Amino acid sequence: MEAKVQKKHQRKHSGRKAEKKSRKQNEQESDARKRNPRAFAVQSAVRMARTFHRTQDLKTKKHHIPLVDRTPLEPPPIVVVVVGPPKVGKSTLIRCLIKNFTRQKLSDIRGPVTIVSGKKRRITFIESGSDISSMIDLAKVADLALMLIDASFGFEMETFEFLNICQVHGFPRIMGVLTHLDSFKNNKVLSKTKKRLKHRFWTEVYQGAKLFYLSGMVYGEYQTQEVKNLGRFISVMKFRPLVWQTSHPYVLADRMEDLTDPETIRQDPKCDRTVSLYGYLRGTYMKNKSQVHIPGVGDFAVGDLSFLPDPCPLPETLKKRALNEKERLLYAPMAGVGGVVYDKDAVYIDMPGGHVKQQDNAGPTTELVQSLIGTHATLDSKMAASKVSLFSGTAALSQDDQPTESHVWDPKTHRERRKAVFTGEEEEDDHDDDDDDEEEEEEEEDEEYNEEDENEVEIEKTDPPMKRLKLEQRKEMEETPAFADSDDELEKSEDDEEDEEERGTGNGDSGHCSEDNDDDYGSEEAESGTEDDDNKEISDMEEDVASGTNGQRSKASSGQEEEDEEEEDQSYSTAGSLRWKEGLAEKAAEVFLRQQRAAPNLRKLVYGTVVEEEEEEGEEDEEVGGLFRVSRPEKGKRRRADGLDCSRFEPDDSHDWEQEEMLASIRDCFVTGKWEGNTDAATLLKEDDEIYGDFEDLETGEVHKGGSDLDHEDEEEPQVKVDDTEAQKNKRLEKKKRLKERFDAEYDDGDATYFDDLKEEMHKQAELNRAEFEDVDDETRVQYEGFRPGMYVRLEIPSLPCEFVTNFDPHYPIILGGLGGSEGNVGYLQMRLKKHRWHSKILKTRDPLILSLGWRRFQTIPMYHIEDHNGRHRLLKYTPEHMHCGASIWGPITPQGTGFLAVQSVSGTQANFRIAATGVVLDLDKSVTIVKKLKLIGYPCKIFKNTSFVQGMFNSVLEVAKFEGASVRTVSGIKGQIKKALRTPAGAFRATFEDRLLMSDIVFLRSWYPVTVPRLYNPVTSLLLPAGQKDTWTGMRTVGQLKHDLGIRNQPNQDSLYKPVVRQPRKFNKLHIPKELQKALPFKSKPKQTQPKARTPRDLQRPAVIREPHERKVAALLSALSTVYNHKKKASRVKQHTAHKEFLKQKDRAEEEKMRRLKDVKKKMYQLMGQKEKKKQKSSLKAEGA
Amino acid sequence: LCGSRRNNNMASQGLTYDGCNFFRQRLILSTLSGKRVKIRHVRSKDDNPGLRDFEASFIRLLDKVTNGTRIEINQTGTVLFYQPGLLFGGTIEHECNVQRSVGYYLEALIMLAPFMKNPLRALLKGVTNDQKDPSVDLLKATAIPLMKKFGIDGDGLEIKITKRGMAPGGGGEVLFTCPVRRTIRPVQMTEPGKIKRIRGTAYSVRVSPQMANRIVDSARSILNQFIPDIYIYTDHMKGANSGKSPGFGLTLIAETLNGTFLSAEMVSNPQGQGETILPEDLGRKCAKILLEEVYRGGCVDSANQSLALLYMTLGQQDVSKTLLGPLSPYTIEFLRHIRDFFQIMFKIEVKKPNEEEMKGGNKVLMTCVGAGYTNISKTLK
Repeated sequence: MEAKVQKKHQRKHSGRKAEKKSRKQNEQESDARKRNPRAFAVQSAVRMARTFHRTQDLKTKKHHIPLVDRTPLEPPPIVVVVVGPPKVGKSTLIRCLIKNFTRQKLSDIRGPVTIVSGKKRRITFIESGSDISSMIDLAKVADLALMLIDASFGFEMETFEFLNICQVHGFPRIMGVLTHLDSFKNNKVLSKTKKRLKHRFWTEVYQGAKLFYLSGMVYGEYQTQEVKNLGRFISVMKFRPLVWQTSHPYVLADRMEDLTDPETIRQDPKCDRTVSLYGYLRGTYMKNKSQVHIPGVGDFAVGDLSFLPDPCPLPETLKKRALNEKERLLYAPMAGVGGVVYDKDAVYIDMPGGHVKQQDNAGPTTELVQSLIGTHATLDSKMAASKVSLFSGTAALSQDDQPTESHVWDPKTHRERRKAVFTGEEEEDDHDDDDDDEEEEEEEEDEEYNEEDENEVEIEKTDPPMKRLKLEQRKEMEETPAFADSDDELEKSEDDEEDEEERGTGNGDSGHCSEDNDDDYGSEEAESGTEDDDNKEISDMEEDVASGTNGQRSKASSGQEEEDEEEEDQSYSTAGSLRWKEGLAEKAAEVFLRQQRAAPNLRKLVYGTVVEEEEEEGEEDEEVGGLFRVSRPEKGKRRRADGLDCSRFEPDDSHDWEQEEMLASIRDCFVTGKWEGNTDAATLLKEDDEIYGDFEDLETGEVHKGGSDLDHEDEEEPQVKVDDTEAQKNKRLEKKKRLKERFDAEYDDGDATYFDDLKEEMHKQAELNRAEFEDVDDETRVQYEGFRPGMYVRLEIPSLPCEFVTNFDPHYPIILGGLGGSEGNVGYLQMRLKKHRWHSKILKTRDPLILSLGWRRFQTIPMYHIEDHNGRHRLLKYTPEHMHCGASIWGPITPQGTGFLAVQSVSGTQANFRIAATGVVLDLDKSVTIVKKLKLIGYPCKIFKNTSFVQGMFNSVLEVAKFEGASVRTVSGIKGQIKKALRTPAGAFRATFEDRLLMSDIVFLRSWYPVTVPRLYNPVTSLLLPAGQKDTWTGMRTVGQLKHDLGIRNQPNQDSLYKPVVRQPRKFNKLHIPKELQKALPFKSKPKQTQPKARTPRDLQRPAVIREPHERKVAALLSALSTVYNHKKKASRVKQHTAHKEFLKQKDRAEEEKMRRLKDVKKKMYQLMGQKEKKKQKSSLKAEGA
Repeated sequence: LCGSRRNNNMASQGLTYDGCNFFRQRLILSTLSGKRVKIRHVRSKDDNPGLRDFEASFIRLLDKVTNGTRIEINQTGTVLFYQPGLLFGGTIEHECNVQRSVGYYLEALIMLAPFMKNPLRALLKGVTNDQKDPSVDLLKATAIPLMKKFGIDGDGLEIKITKRGMAPGGGGEVLFTCPVRRTIRPVQMTEPGKIKRIRGTAYSVRVSPQMANRIVDSARSILNQFIPDIYIYTDHMKGANSGKSPGFGLTLIAETLNGTFLSAEMVSNPQGQGETILPEDLGRKCAKILLEEVYRGGCVDSANQSLALLYMTLGQQDVSKTLLGPLSPYTIEFLRHIRDFFQIMFKIEVKKPNEEEMKGGNKVLMTCVGAGYTNISKTLK
């Protein structure tokens, strides 16, 4: 069908419609503030200030300390930990989520399962057991915790315990999931329960924390839509960086291989094992040869660290919105999925042989393997792209060299593995050889069972040409030493040029060591032979730098000296002066080459050749036992080893600072020298002229033009016209840009706050971090940076205890936590600790406690203490009930500010809340200063005035001598001082007091006795326990437990027992004051004789008056009259008062009236006056105008 | 369980070295990284085997500023085992051996001081200026501003020369105070800037005060060709402040617009050793050394290269960059030691100046990602 050509809409540019439109647009554009400015006018300055203040407050509240964004470009899969009490539906949820993301069913979930969930996100699911060890370990590595809660039951202790663990070790994102909601028959009860649980969850996490409801099961799975929603939530979730995680590298191992020589195992089944562990590196950069802690096993040094191609990569193209079926990858080697796994030196194809028959029709796992085998070409290309040598020591493979299978029965995982073995490879993989023969039959059986499978294998079998090609490539690559692939390749290409050049010139030039070096690396045959020479040359170079003198150069003719010096600047080697006689072009070419090569050379000079050195180390390792040796060139080693340790850098004698040329060579280092284009004062002035040069003098109307512009135009115009316009345009653009920059600088800076500046700085740093090593290839990059997070790494760990392998259980997480600088050491840690408020008992000093601190879980003996007002740390017997206290332990050095939690035992499940205490590390030290109060008691044996002899406090004269001058005290509070020891009885001393003692007094000496912290550091080795008993680890028992277990009852000292205190009521004698004293006392202090008042004697009593009847009448009348008079007086006064008030009011009114009138008059008058004035002015203006 | 027995000792590794060269580097890095170190064959072939007095004094100094350090030296002094403790700091007083100047000890203290538990206040006694080590004046003028660039600043940072003591008698006294920091800032020092002024100190003790003036005149005669802003202080210490031996010397510092300090120094021969040197010659030579230093260039002068590299290594996990002049042998060895102790390699690029620019010789751009080191000694309150 032909597309109909529609007439294009033509916008009106003039006319009514256009006007209308523009008006409308204007109205819309201008905001309310513009349309109605009055509404937004300032009403009250105070209120405005307040609102401003408030907005600023709110703004600042949102600020966080800006951190440098160190998230890698390709981040590792996020770790989603599914936790909850047993039988709550954890495995089911993981299974459903995996099915949701990858459309695959995973029957048994063992170990971490990594899937690709989207274009930019991968997820590792791991299930946490309900034992506290697993919960602790996984809380430390979790990015997101899915907390499953059985709604029909309510919250269980595990949930709260996990939340508390999270709180201590940095809070990952937490999402609650309510399950078993179908058990509610009543809808009202259901909604009520939901609400109750939600609010409780909110108080624990934060208000509004996400809680998911999985309403019911359909055929043993959760409802698809709900799972889908949950999956969506997970895949768009954002995470905050946690301090511990971002400052430590860690690996959640998803695969484990035992590399120990089977012969050694046969000879000694309990020998230490060499194990390689695989997983995504997370957190931060990990350095080779670093130390790791494996929680549940212990501390180990990493023997070898290398990165492998990503087994579960993100889709390469990001065109489509959704992932296609091929990109929905699933990687779970411990669960028997993952198919082809390629390692440093072998390719494993995992086929769950035992289950093949059952899974033939349904089996998603085999499907995956098949799909992987089917897409062998891509894998191959991937393998080729990744620079990992697949088969070390590959001999030439013939055409019919086909991979044969060898079956390995893995006793740990109870499954059979088909391993692809190449005949040429048999020498290395000899332990596989043994099994080969026996299991070939099985293999055949397998093939019978699984025809499809065989087909796929056949495809693989037809593959060899491709593989061989790749192998050849590899061989080529391997011939050059693996050191810094990029550099050497670069050098190689350069070498070719160089060689040609050299042949052309025919110049041997043995003095030029950098070139020689390159030659050596370029030519493989000579490599081993010339290695010594190499070293020598490196040492030569070094010496040159060291001495700065050069015999050759000093002899060189003075004419060449200048060039010579230049040459020396370019490299630190002795160059034959002859070389400089050659043509200039050649020289330039060489300079260029050398400049390009200089970096690797300098690196070699400083660091030597890394790979070779490491090999040597490896050899030495066996001899010295993990001790590192510096490999230095042989020549002059002794001399340098004992040389003068001095940082001074002696000046180069060859520089003659008398000469003009030398002086001229540093002219530009001074402000008086020439400046670069963009900072030179002259050019800057010129630029300024260009920008600000054009102006018009308003007074004179003269137009000034930027002088330079005029000049340029005048000069350039006649010459080239086309170029000129272009150049002008550019110039104008540049000018504009510069102007804008200046404007920005002027106006933006004023607005920028400290916070903005800080953020900007961090942002810049982050960008620099990203950009710096972006274009370096991984092999070199890992040497500079270490292995960066997001890489799939393989850690080889020598000397792991054999129980780790024999008792391996993939249900328990294996975490390799990298340790920082000093974190591999032990020392005393001072911590702030608080008993958890839900823990039922207080904690006792010297009772062993299991701490989870950093990566570690270990048992130790804490000593609780509290700081006195004078900074003394006083020992406490028990932790305070609702208060923080100090705790000192002997344990691994961990940075201050790290949180920890304590449990009393990790074995079994207790009824109560298991977390005993939480806290934070405050201080690290190699000694402790806890003291315990010690009271020495003595009794006076002889009392003089203020002096007493005290005995029973000490046992010898020597002891007393130590305490001479110490202050003592009696129970009654009399203070004193120890003076000198007495001869007899031993330990008695003379002491003086501020008052006389009584024989019944007790004298005591208060002293502080330093306490030592027991040096117990016992890592919880729960992973080494046999399967099924891993959560039964018990360490040192407390005294209480020991007594309980052994049935020992405490025999208390009789004196220590409490008895009822019977106290006699105290009777005091009457106070007797001698008469003489009484007399002398002032009246106030005299004892008062308070006697009852005596009756008035008769003669003093006044008789009562009795009136005559007439008198009585008169008195009554008088009183009546006076009453009447008083009343009258009062009434009249009230009346007068009101009248006066009225009068005042009237007066006021009159006054007001008067004022008003006056005002009116005045107003009129002023009006008149104003008018007159105006008239006058007008008339005067007129007069003037006229 | 056969695992538990081993697990009780932690996995921290140790390093072994031969010979007593770069003795300080090894002990300092060992202290900072927590790795123990063993130094064998210390002058084992020498007529006078074992550690010298100044090295013993250095070990004693380390013992003073740390807590829990374990040092074992064998009978002949040819084998040293050093297990570092935690850096403690505080107020210390140390009698430095006169075989080496205070600079020898001070360089080490400067490297350690920001990572102590308590701010360091060290009173060092001994030789303040000699010909082997960077003098105290030089460190005061160059190391302190360098530390400030790494975020180690505040009022507590100071080197104060209260008494000057020349070799061989000594008798000088230097007070070094430094605040503590939890982390060190990454730096980007790629532009040294142009030299705006030259300052210096000409000092003389137990000789005629005129010596200093003569030095100043001769040094100026050379430097005046480049820049007019030159001021050289004369410092003549008398009486109790003048130490036990006579001598004189000059320290020159060139300051750039970007706050880079390049330095040079020269001291007269110690009394009774070598020929007497004229102050004029000394001034001229010192000025030439400064020119050499300018020629080498970079953002850090040659004496402090290792200090800058150490602070870069101990920075946060960010990229640090510094432009240096040619690496001194001491620095090269230091880089190797850094790799041994911290597994950190520097990216080393040679920067060649432009043809037409006259800015001295080649420069080296050092780039590294910091180790993410935090001061674990500092107490959290």
